[in-house]
Amino acid sequence: MTPKLEVRDISKSFGTLEVLRGISIDVADHEFLAIVGPSGCGKTTLLRTIAGIETSDTGSIRVDGKQVTKPGADRGFVFQQDCLFPWRTVWENTIFGLEINGKVSAETTARTRQLLQLVGLTGFEKYYPTQLSGGMRQRVNLARALAINPEVLIMDEPFSALDAQTREVMQLELTRIWQQGRKTVLFITHQIDEAVFLADRVVVLGRRPGRIKEVVPIDLPRPRGLAVKRDPRFVTYVDRVWNLIENDVRDSVREDATVAS
Amino acid sequence: MADASKPVTADETQADDAARGRLAKGGKRRLSFASAASILGGLLLWELAGRFLVRNSLFLATPTQIVEEIVKLAASGELQLHMWTSGQEFFIGLAIAIVLGIAVGFITASSRLGDRTLGPWVTALYATPTIAISPLIILWTGIGIWSKVIVVVINSIFPMIINTDAGLRATDKHLLDAARCFGASRWQLFWKVSLPAAIPFVLAGIRLAVGRGLVAVVVAELFGARAGLGYLLIQASEVFNMPRLFAAVVILAVTGIVLTWLVGRAERILLPWRFAGDDR
Repeated sequence: MTPKLEVRDISKSFGTLEVLRGISIDVADHEFLAIVGPSGCGKTTLLRTIAGIETSDTGSIRVDGKQVTKPGADRGFVFQQDCLFPWRTVWENTIFGLEINGKVSAETTARTRQLLQLVGLTGFEKYYPTQLSGGMRQRVNLARALAINPEVLIMDEPFSALDAQTREVMQLELTRIWQQGRKTVLFITHQIDEAVFLADRVVVLGRRPGRIKEVVPIDLPRPRGLAVKRDPRFVTYVDRVWNLIENDVRDSVREDATVAS
Repeated sequence: MADASKPVTADETQADDAARGRLAKGGKRRLSFASAASILGGLLLWELAGRFLVRNSLFLATPTQIVEEIVKLAASGELQLHMWTSGQEFFIGLAIAIVLGIAVGFITASSRLGDRTLGPWVTALYATPTIAISPLIILWTGIGIWSKVIVVVINSIFPMIINTDAGLRATDKHLLDAARCFGASRWQLFWKVSLPAAIPFVLAGIRLAVGRGLVAVVVAELFGARAGLGYLLIQASEVFNMPRLFAAVVILAVTGIVLTWLVGRAERILLPWRFAGDDR
């Protein structure tokens, strides 16, 4: 079966700095795949390549078997934080992708309304992002990505700027929303428990250059509630991923300390 | 869905806002009262000083004398003539400065060649007190309204250029990237991201341009004019007519306040997102 999203042998260097080395990831239809890695593992570059706003030195990206080289409505993005347009209301932000792709119609508008209800934002259509909490802004971000009805949803550390409690709530919300349509998701995070909690498989990246260390299938029952986090299997998975990246994280911390001093 | 994740409803938030609004209103009223008391107190001291301390209308006109003079000027139609002349010079000059300034700012922000060729001129002339060359402009272009328009333009255009340029450059990289990921073309990036992001800067530029333009009109008229508030001012000072001189100053001050207020209103209309949630 053709994977929904196929990342094939992506390598990229900036000058002498090798950022990505031979990254290959297949995301199956309806699969939730998480990528975990320490800072400096080339997550951002990989994401920009998949988005089609950065070109790689080698390899290719395919969606449904078709090679992609530029941005398109087949991939929907949820970004780290505050990538909402401050001058647009919740509603105007949500339909941004439809506007760009010339797809605003009665049908897509009705669908977008349903999406806002799905993410729990009905009644907030006329609010501006500055009037919303961090968690609510990320709900808008999610709705905006889903509004173009993409084949693959790509989420780049969407909850990293939220406080710990809000993050838990949003993780739970995301699993609830995901259960409804089971869209194919590529979820990038540095939060190990977040990756294990959400994903069917966790891809662990190493750093300098960014490369795949291991792919860990997560065999936990769905739908998952917060109780899963106390499941011994969950804890084992988290430990395993942590052991895989521990040294890399220590390196990156040491590097940061050197740069700071 | 867990209860904790249930978002607050719009109604609850609005009720919250209303409560905060009421609190703010009480505080605001007290502050407005303080401003009014300060202004009235100042005027009273001025009046008393003029009547009992200085007592020489060659040096100081009192507020009541100024008001009388303004009424007299308005009755004879002189005031309207001067305001109309200065107003024309100011608004034509300001309009040209805004349009041209935005255009030049757009060029310097979006083209490296444009930045390299126009940039040095903009920087050099912005640092120069261009008001100082207004006599030269009058000499070259005569004492009609266009010489004043030119003086207004060369004084007001620089904040427009610099703010437009800065605004377009300051567009959040993340927002541009997000728009690109949705497949936005260069044209869409400009219209849907850079331009709206730059509008607050452009409006701040207009605020500065208004202030500079007002000074430019008056100064230009001092150096040669047949009518206008600056002309009224210099005529009055030559014959030591203090009430009239002060009347001109007061009218200019009031105009400045009104124009600044208008720009503030325009900001609220054009940038609703900046003021969202404020108590209006």
